[in-house]
Amino acid sequence: MPQLRDSSNQGPGSEVPHSPQYESLKRIFGVETEYGVSVTGASKPCDPGQVAMMMFAPVLSRSRSTNTYLPNGSRLYLDVGSHPEYATAEACDPYDALVQDLAGEETMRRLVGQAQERLRRTHGAGATIHLYKNNVDSAGHSFGCHENYLVRRFVPLPVIKAQLLPFLITRQLFTGAGRVTGHGFEITQRAGFLDEAVSSSTTRSRPMVNTRDEPHADPYEFRRLHVIIGDSNRSQTSTMMKLATTHLVLCVIETAQRLGIPSGFEACAFRAPSAANKALSADLSARAATIELEDADAFRAGQRDFGSVIAPGGARDAGIGEDGFEHSGDRDGRAGLVSGLEVQYHYLAVVSRFMDEHGGQMASSLPRTECAAILADWRTTLDALARGDLRALQGRVDWIAKLLLIRRLKARDPDIPTARLRQIDMDYHDITNGSLYDSLLRHGVMRRVAGQAEVDRALNEPPADTRAALRGGFIAHALAAGAQFTCDWTHLTLKQPASAELTLLDPFDAHSDAGYTRLLARL
Amino acid sequence: MPQQFSQHYTSDQVSGQPEAQDGLRRRTTDSAQAESDALDAVLDDISSTLEHDAERYVASFVQKGGQ
Repeated sequence: MPQLRDSSNQGPGSEVPHSPQYESLKRIFGVETEYGVSVTGASKPCDPGQVAMMMFAPVLSRSRSTNTYLPNGSRLYLDVGSHPEYATAEACDPYDALVQDLAGEETMRRLVGQAQERLRRTHGAGATIHLYKNNVDSAGHSFGCHENYLVRRFVPLPVIKAQLLPFLITRQLFTGAGRVTGHGFEITQRAGFLDEAVSSSTTRSRPMVNTRDEPHADPYEFRRLHVIIGDSNRSQTSTMMKLATTHLVLCVIETAQRLGIPSGFEACAFRAPSAANKALSADLSARAATIELEDADAFRAGQRDFGSVIAPGGARDAGIGEDGFEHSGDRDGRAGLVSGLEVQYHYLAVVSRFMDEHGGQMASSLPRTECAAILADWRTTLDALARGDLRALQGRVDWIAKLLLIRRLKARDPDIPTARLRQIDMDYHDITNGSLYDSLLRHGVMRRVAGQAEVDRALNEPPADTRAALRGGFIAHALAAGAQFTCDWTHLTLKQPASAELTLLDPFDAHSDAGYTRLLARL
Repeated sequence: MPQQFSQHYTSDQVSGQPEAQDGLRRRTTDSAQAESDALDAVLDDISSTLEHDAERYVASFVQKGGQ
């Protein structure tokens, strides 16, 4: 466990050794999901705040707080506006984060189950609680699914903003959850609701990326990157790819910074990220050139340098093809515009070359997931989008599954009302009483990634290879002993039968040392 | 011929074997028909479970925004 360094002897020439993970490309992942709540079929009015409190009754009775940590190391929280929230325990692999996220769904499902039983005693046998893993309610209020990545401190925030944000906006081509709007369909849930690109504040504006003051790690070594721009996914592939491809890009950025060389992402910045986000979200072809770059020439030079391939066998013709791309220099003269797909291909090409050069270090950056497999699937996904082959992605990408289902529905019933489509959109995200997503799984349309046995275990067991193991172990023992305690991401605090506290600063450290053993002994 | 996706991401082949649903997706009419059939089956499933009053269902979901 790294020692906390006294700031008085910090300096550029400091000889203080870094923690092992500071020099590696390993990463801590976290997903925080805010859920939406509604009730239908009740015999009398019932507001979501009331229902959320009912959901959390078992949590409240045990911990006297609507913010509690569970034996699997995760955090359960009742958020502002009555959005129940689940934050996954620290994982050092995207697959583990996925499993924890699915355990979060099941945890929420069970809380709703007991609340619905109680509700039916007072509000009629037909009262039905819907818990939505999505990002917008029917009135346009939005709420989030946020990712956390531990990033090495030496990467300046402006660098992250410039180099990561274009990736985060365009990855929505395969991570977007889709949304039925009043007049059509969009790829993302929240393009209409996100404004500033990067900010340290989350109060009034809605930034896409920020960093948090509390890294929940050694602040001299790491910062916690908090990504706001991301939809809540039901597709397990989307959750995996969201986390894993972002990891690959962060590895490139960190290494370039460490070595003092260009990453290859320097020229990717968008002139107007919000506008780019909206344009991408509205383009169902996934190929229209609608994004304005800060420096199109530099970007094109980068594409030549890295040989960013647009499509297999596809020539980069000027002009607008039926199933091709609109390139700069086309007949409309819209020079300097790119498609989100072109941007993604560039990120892919840069990461691909990086992995050729740093394959060994990358292979050991994730304990369970193969970076090479992620890279290959990323490429296969982009190629399918380039061909317009949505069917190939139907089982992997939420917006595509929804869109193809809606198109089939409209083909069967051209007069179907929009309200029905909006209902289907919502049902897709209803993890308690929805039927659509389960049907897609059952009929082999939507693909599973995580094993059910692992998800079941993750309900009660934290990841074994991160700090979550220590937190989870403490909580489990404390509950069994009937002790009074609190904790947060970096502290374990015993109150009764003894008063003791332990600081856990290193999220990569799952080792129960003497201090931890002593704490448990006092329960 | 379209490329194939990896079957799964983990090198752990023993425990927690994911239920891999896909393999090579050949662009045959049979395959396209099967996919339509699957979507039809899904739509038939939900037609009986979706609440009848769609507008009321949609309107029931209103909450203040989150952080």
